[in-house]
Amino acid sequence: MDLKESIIELASIAGPSGSEGAVARRVSELLAPLVDEVRIDNLGNVIGYKSCGKKGAKRLLIDAHIDEVGLIVTGIEEGFLKFSTIGRVDPLMLPARQVKVLTDPPIYGVISSMPVHVLTPAEMNKAAKPEDMYIDIGFSQEEAVRIVPLGTPIVLDARVESLQGDVLTGRAFDDRACMAIIIDALSALRDRELEVDLIVMGSAQEELGCRGATVGTFSVAPDYALALDVTHAKTPDYKREKAFNLGGGPAIGVGPNVSRKLSDRLIAIAKEKGIPYQIEPMGGNSGTNAWVMQTSREGIATGVVSLPLKYMHSPVETMKLSDAEAVSRLLGEFVLSMKGGEL
Amino acid sequence: MLIDTLKTLCALPGASGMEDAVRDFIIREARPHADEIITDSIGNLMVFKKGRKAPQKRLMLAAHMDEVGVIVTGITDDGYLKFDFVGGVDRRVVIGQRVRFGGILGVIGLRAVHLASKEKEDEVPKTEDLYIDIGTSDRQSAEKIVSLGDIGTFDSGILEFGDGFFKAKAIDDRVGCAVLLELIEEDLAVDTWFAFTSQEEVGTRGGTVAAYRIEPEIALIVEGTTAADLPSVKGTNKICSPGKGVVIPFMDKGTLYDRELYAQLTSLAEKNGIPWQTKQLIAGGTDAAAVQRSRAGVRTAGIAAAIRNIHSPSCVGSIRDFEGLLRLARLFIEAQGE
Repeated sequence: MDLKESIIELASIAGPSGSEGAVARRVSELLAPLVDEVRIDNLGNVIGYKSCGKKGAKRLLIDAHIDEVGLIVTGIEEGFLKFSTIGRVDPLMLPARQVKVLTDPPIYGVISSMPVHVLTPAEMNKAAKPEDMYIDIGFSQEEAVRIVPLGTPIVLDARVESLQGDVLTGRAFDDRACMAIIIDALSALRDRELEVDLIVMGSAQEELGCRGATVGTFSVAPDYALALDVTHAKTPDYKREKAFNLGGGPAIGVGPNVSRKLSDRLIAIAKEKGIPYQIEPMGGNSGTNAWVMQTSREGIATGVVSLPLKYMHSPVETMKLSDAEAVSRLLGEFVLSMKGGEL
Repeated sequence: MLIDTLKTLCALPGASGMEDAVRDFIIREARPHADEIITDSIGNLMVFKKGRKAPQKRLMLAAHMDEVGVIVTGITDDGYLKFDFVGGVDRRVVIGQRVRFGGILGVIGLRAVHLASKEKEDEVPKTEDLYIDIGTSDRQSAEKIVSLGDIGTFDSGILEFGDGFFKAKAIDDRVGCAVLLELIEEDLAVDTWFAFTSQEEVGTRGGTVAAYRIEPEIALIVEGTTAADLPSVKGTNKICSPGKGVVIPFMDKGTLYDRELYAQLTSLAEKNGIPWQTKQLIAGGTDAAAVQRSRAGVRTAGIAAAIRNIHSPSCVGSIRDFEGLLRLARLFIEAQGE
């Protein structure tokens, strides 16, 4: 499976925080032929090990989170579902949105938009609060109560599609695209001799505060860790410094959350191998799993590499395939550069 | 099957002024059954079909082919499209939705929620601040494939869900078109004109000239109409409710419907066990406004399917209501021969 196909496949699986099971199972299957051993832990992290066969080799953790933002059923009124959000969902993205309610089997519905005639002009210019919205599932109260237990998770439903060039639009590229990139990089390294043990983690519950990575990093106790996540790409309504160029290649995080040795190495490799890159200065919390990895146990030298993404946390997240390929190359070259398992 | 025809019709692009794909499909389907087919300068399609006899009064059924959409008003240096709406669209329902200009797909973007300033994060952007991302990153590449004035429609999947519910773009008014098309394929009680009108959404433009040409004496407008039946909407503000029957309006913002025809429709529904409801709020308007005041005046009635999230990429209606709409339209035609 090529990178594009696996991005599309992984992004299409529903897996909001706490309900990553289906994603974890598919990631396990994809990792199985590439690693020595793969397991799913107590919080739902997928963890794969690939030994380099050298005694006393250092251990590098490569992480991408496999959860996504979503919604959760909190009540049922007149057959409509009331909901709260899982992670940071923009209420502006919700009206008239098709959703998938993760009952077994799943059912579909539409988030109703508040009709214009009952709104004041001021209300028409404000996003409704998620707690004031309803999901139309087309059932009576009695049927809805029977079919949908409270606490059922929900995801925004959207196909992945191509825009012009190699631009893709869809859901949950944050962070399934990076999981697909790790699998792609690992495939490329398959027949290469390594001098470092690799631990791959598809972590759960990142969107709720890096909960999966906290326990996963503790249990695998790596020497180095690299978080692969998405970062904001510039859009017409946000062009300032916190956003990067779509098509500009991986954003390499630099700042207190990142071991300077690691970011220097990543930048040096990108330069040496001619991989396009951008520097992402991060004043404090990187907003990625690197935040918890860095202080796991007695501390871990941690790095952050990010894929530029527009419209993060929406059903029209937009990325460029050439960026994903560049992240994959950078990751592969970084692993190969760890001669003697050292930075 | 009505529902299959509706699925096909909803999938076709046909914003006001570019109803061509819808019109071509209807012509193809209607031709084997039609006695006369007329198209005109504004894009209307008028189909005449002989029935078993002539009606008491010249009869026309009408449904509009067009849907709401977007029109390209600018292309930016970094390859995004600026746009305005074609027809009445609440901009709250377009953010993060997909639009299509023929083979070109785009998304209506919005800065990530993380990047919104605290005071502005729940503010709905103005239409002029919205943009469509088609994946191009410079003006030249965008201009090669899109031009100012290009008209697009929502790109949204078709879904059957719940207890007989149906979601698609453009149910308003492809449901009316589907009903008329089904009737054309049937044996009719009386001679009937079927008007598939253009440009209803920008002010009943097509209906105006279609009614002038056909000169009906009795007209029935078959439509989709706003339903607002959310639990938090109280009383009559709900207007009407999908699944609770065919909507027979007595009045909306554009029309006081003919009282006798209104009574005829409600009694036909009652006698034949077709669930029906009326609009509990004077809202919306249809081609009836144009048809009723055509030439020396036309006795005009309406029937409609109740539609949630109307004028959005995710209109929702009830399949049972759609079937009721077809049955009631058929009974209305029969009644014009009595």
